[in-house]
Amino acid sequence: MGRKPQENPQLDMTPMIDVVFELIIFFVVTLTESQKKDETIELEDGQHGVVLTPEEFPPDHMQIDIASRDKDGNYLKKGRISMGDRTLTKADLKDQIKLRKDRYGHEFPIFIRADFATRHETVREVMDACAEMGIWQMSIMAVSEDKTHGDSRKHLMKLKGKE
Amino acid sequence: MGRKPQDNPQLDMTPMIDVVFELIIFFVVTIKQEDIFSKLNVNRPAPASSKSESDNDEPCKIEVGKNARNKNQGVYVINGKEMKLSEVDEYLKTTVAGKSKKPEETPIVIRCENQSPHKALVDLLDRCYKYRLFSLSVFSM
Repeated sequence: MGRKPQENPQLDMTPMIDVVFELIIFFVVTLTESQKKDETIELEDGQHGVVLTPEEFPPDHMQIDIASRDKDGNYLKKGRISMGDRTLTKADLKDQIKLRKDRYGHEFPIFIRADFATRHETVREVMDACAEMGIWQMSIMAVSEDKTHGDSRKHLMKLKGKE
Repeated sequence: MGRKPQDNPQLDMTPMIDVVFELIIFFVVTIKQEDIFSKLNVNRPAPASSKSESDNDEPCKIEVGKNARNKNQGVYVINGKEMKLSEVDEYLKTTVAGKSKKPEETPIVIRCENQSPHKALVDLLDRCYKYRLFSLSVFSM
């Protein structure tokens, strides 16, 4: 009954493992790319707000970040306004809003993502910039379900209160 | 009966299971769950126009300031009375949302002090949303 070796071959796993590793590397790289955002910003809880999962962000939205700490975790005297990785002054911010307005019209959503410990002063600057560019409606971001930080925020609050 | 190994191979699952466990551990350790966000919509009235305040309903005015003792906590002032967040919650529930036929349209005017922490404002907005008070205006002072 001389079988040919091809009919019942030894399954060689090596290429499969190679491919799996390729996939892992691919996903790790793309995931970290998409998560590039200011990690020092911790939002305040807001369970009652309009829930927004990461997939639901409108494509034309404009997100303005306000950090109260630098990358090493030291508190800044004044909040840092940024978009993406770029730090913006109020004038820069107005330029950016103007660019958006030219492209999308009046109605694009503005999301203000401000750290819970920022002074209102800096938030005010952003709101004023929007208002001066003729946009009266904006959304303030909060966390509906906290999955990344958990209790670390309360810990931070205590630390900062001691200063 | 010298069989060649290729003829009737026993698939050795051990390395595959090893790899799969490695993968599981790797993903459990590295995957970071995304927060689920919520948004609180507010209006920023034009600096010059105070006209909108005098429309239809009497607006509910709430001031947000900084707490003198702990600079990370806010303090709320309604009708000249200092309140904690829990008291504001109660006030919004009974006095504002409770008495209004259309809480969605009852104007809430929030005046926020420059030095107050952002947390205080977000907490207040969240409480307003809790009682379906959606007509929120934020002024700064």
